[in-house]
Amino acid sequence: MSAPARAWAWLRRNALPIYAGLAVAYMLIPIVVVAVFSFGETPKDKLTFALDNGFTWEYWRTMFDIPELNDALSTSLRLAAFSTLISTAIGTAMAIALVRHRFAGKRVANLLIVIPMATPEVVIGASLLSMFIYYTFALGFTTLLIAHVMFSISFVVVVVRSRLIGFDRNLEEAAADLGAGPFTTFRTITFPLLAPGIISAALLAFALSIDDFVISNFNSGTTVTFPLYVYGVSLRGIPVQVNALATLLFIVAVIAVALVLFQQRRAERMASVRPEAEADSPIPVPGTAAAQ
Amino acid sequence: MEESRRGRAWGRVTAALAVLALALGLTACGGGGGGGDNGGDVTTAEAGPVKGDLTISNWPGYIDPGKDGTVAEFEDETGVSVKYIEDVNDNNDFNGKLEPQLEQGESGGRSIFVVTDWMAKQMYDQGFLQEINPDDLPTVFENMVPGLKDPSFDPGRKFSIPWQSGMTGIWVDKSKAPEIKSVNDLFDPKYKGKVTMLEEMRDSVALVMKGEGVDPDEASDEDWEKAIDKIDAAADSGQIRSFTGNNYTEDLTAGNIVAAIGWSGDASIIENENAEWIMPAEGCVLWSDNMVIPVGAPNTAAALGWMEFVYEPEVATDLTEYITYISPVEGVKELVSPELAKDPLVFPTPEFQKECSTQVSPDDVAGISEAWADVLTG
Amino acid sequence: MRSLKQRLVPYWLLGPGLLWLLFFFVVPMYFMGELALYSGSKTTGGFEFTWAFENFPDALSGHEEQILRSFFYAGTATVLALLIGYPLAYAIAFRGGRFKVLLLFAVIAPFFTTYLIRTIAWKTILSDDSPIVSVLQTLSLTPGDGRVLATSGAVIAGLTYNFLPFMVLPLYANLERLDLRLVEAAKDLYSSSRTAFLKVTLPLTMPGIVAGVLLTFIPAFGDYINAELLGGTGQSMIGNVIQSLYLNQRDYPEAAALSFLMMALILAIVLVYIRFAGTEAFMGDEDDAEGAK
Repeated sequence: MSAPARAWAWLRRNALPIYAGLAVAYMLIPIVVVAVFSFGETPKDKLTFALDNGFTWEYWRTMFDIPELNDALSTSLRLAAFSTLISTAIGTAMAIALVRHRFAGKRVANLLIVIPMATPEVVIGASLLSMFIYYTFALGFTTLLIAHVMFSISFVVVVVRSRLIGFDRNLEEAAADLGAGPFTTFRTITFPLLAPGIISAALLAFALSIDDFVISNFNSGTTVTFPLYVYGVSLRGIPVQVNALATLLFIVAVIAVALVLFQQRRAERMASVRPEAEADSPIPVPGTAAAQ
Repeated sequence: MEESRRGRAWGRVTAALAVLALALGLTACGGGGGGGDNGGDVTTAEAGPVKGDLTISNWPGYIDPGKDGTVAEFEDETGVSVKYIEDVNDNNDFNGKLEPQLEQGESGGRSIFVVTDWMAKQMYDQGFLQEINPDDLPTVFENMVPGLKDPSFDPGRKFSIPWQSGMTGIWVDKSKAPEIKSVNDLFDPKYKGKVTMLEEMRDSVALVMKGEGVDPDEASDEDWEKAIDKIDAAADSGQIRSFTGNNYTEDLTAGNIVAAIGWSGDASIIENENAEWIMPAEGCVLWSDNMVIPVGAPNTAAALGWMEFVYEPEVATDLTEYITYISPVEGVKELVSPELAKDPLVFPTPEFQKECSTQVSPDDVAGISEAWADVLTG
Repeated sequence: MRSLKQRLVPYWLLGPGLLWLLFFFVVPMYFMGELALYSGSKTTGGFEFTWAFENFPDALSGHEEQILRSFFYAGTATVLALLIGYPLAYAIAFRGGRFKVLLLFAVIAPFFTTYLIRTIAWKTILSDDSPIVSVLQTLSLTPGDGRVLATSGAVIAGLTYNFLPFMVLPLYANLERLDLRLVEAAKDLYSSSRTAFLKVTLPLTMPGIVAGVLLTFIPAFGDYINAELLGGTGQSMIGNVIQSLYLNQRDYPEAAALSFLMMALILAIVLVYIRFAGTEAFMGDEDDAEGAK
């Protein structure tokens, strides 16, 4: 085969992966831009997306020097932590009930869980605001927490469910056969195997909370979360430290997900959970669907 | 498990009824409706020893920051611990955010806001502000520029103390559109999509009215509507790229626009040496941003202390040198650097400002505001 | 026979969650509906409940443009996301090999930078003076005025980018379960690759497509950040209007009426789909452990 023909054949065979590579690059462009411009020196220490002034570590060093930014970030972190804790607990319980038990009203429960995921954030935020206004309830951290837990529950349920469905009940039955009571079984068998799913769900809930803008904007009153802070300063000059922080958050997230994946692989090697059944989730998080 | 179809349908109906009953029940035991009203008693801010914590809400870029800044100086001198938040980006947005709390008599922990004249008046009318006793502010009233002592919206300065004044005109990128001299030039098709206007109705619409030869002070509601229609048409056709808050500075810096209706003191924020603020041929709009003390302010004594502090000429000078807006304090001109003293944007002469109008509100505020809001949301 | 205690267990497990959703999702919807029936305004002294049903047509009539525009933007973005996302999901599922997880992660990586920050990054990448826009201009790919920002294109591009993961993930989940042997079988029966795709792969992955479409279209429809940051005067979506009414004009009755209408519209779409495919299909295959055994 001649060289051009070979090249063409190679191209045709690999068109799909090449395309995938391009698409993935497209997904990552803004992240790269954000990271790159966190290193650019700017005259007023405000983001200008120009590299004329040279490279600097200054903004990474002074990342935590802006009080409002720190306040906003710590508020967001606290909010996300509480929201994750509560919604993961509630959501896991719901998932267990939905998958493992028979009861009346399952359809209604399913519906109630699915609909918030399908509701635009504007509507969720606005309706919550309507209720809080009606009760002249002071807007602030509490109202934010309520809202965040609310929209996280559905996602937690979906993720944990999918993990539960692929769960090999034989292990639990074996434990029961060996004389373990329900609690012991749960503690030593079910929970450890379920853990990666729960952790994935928790990560998702955390990411949703920390990133939320619209619902928070409606219900925060005067409390400032990290996204709300970025919105505020975007109108007048973003301090470059924000970019550095955003890049840092990204790196931390990457590490966290990598750890989860790693831990999941280990858990799987320790017990024979059927890998192919893991794909049964509409919103797979790397922890659940992709472990082959 | 099999449920009969009928059973399922009934189950759903019952569930729906239960929810409805629950909601109605909550309504019954719940709070009141929207419009609160404070009962009408206006309190006067209490003076006292200046100490403790102070939280201030201000517009961005309105203070000299850092260890040598005004806030740090105040903290050193008085021992007050100041939390300075730059969260006022737009008068309406800020008021909207705080309104639920203000109606309850709460200020969200803040003891001072800085809002523009008309918003200060609106907040006062809504019962959200405390009054200020001039006897508590000797330095302020001694050093305040005479022209600001008795404005029409707050005669005698009962509830507002000027923070800075400014002028709304047109920022022009001289390298790309040197011929722009008037607000009417912004409607020129050759700049299509390259101009922005402010979201602030009392700036943009007033300026356009002046361009039509109408004096905003004497303008009727129809004049306002005509100007709004003109702007609406330009927005629809894409002539006006967008309506901005403080962010027109970004577009100027990025080179996305050649001209913007904007504020005179923003030179320090715009990273474009070719951008220049011009006084429009028909004149500018004059306004002031004011410090006000809200109801429920936790530390009015410190708030008053802050006001006294920033009216000292040396402090006011430091502020002006950084933020380049028009200071309300007498004596600053003598203390600033010579080039700044000559800058007409910071120390405008009456001659320079002769065509300018102060910011006013239309008669039918609600109706005109709504018409304007429709233009803003396309 | 299960004991009473055993039968109550699911209710205990479900209870907190359902109550939370009830109180903080369902009930607020009710309040929003009630607020929509108020009349009055902030400046005339407050609101009162007056069964003001006219708020609904009023809210609708003032804003048809934004509603239609939202449909158009969200629809286009969804179609684009599908066209971009389907091959991507396919590639990851069947050609990903060892890199599957990595690729999937790259797809959701944008989630880990704040929504605003990545949209602002796009605003800069697409600004009038940027090299990318210059390239597009020479390729004559820019709309009339030669700029990209503050046009519908920019908003749609932003929406597509931000919601692409919502499309890719359900598609991937579904594609992963596709039994390639069926496709092989089709080919053994002499169908071309194209026919095999159209008659075997596509129908089998339809649930994934529908899930992806819904999960992309609905949030895109209500979005307002992309319009605000990347759009100009002519690009307001219904989300912008609602946000302005609530937070800026504080015209709560109209805002609530409009939100309610939007919600009803979307609910109608979702219910039609659920009727068509069942909630279980939307949630993922429900092979209840209980039911199966």
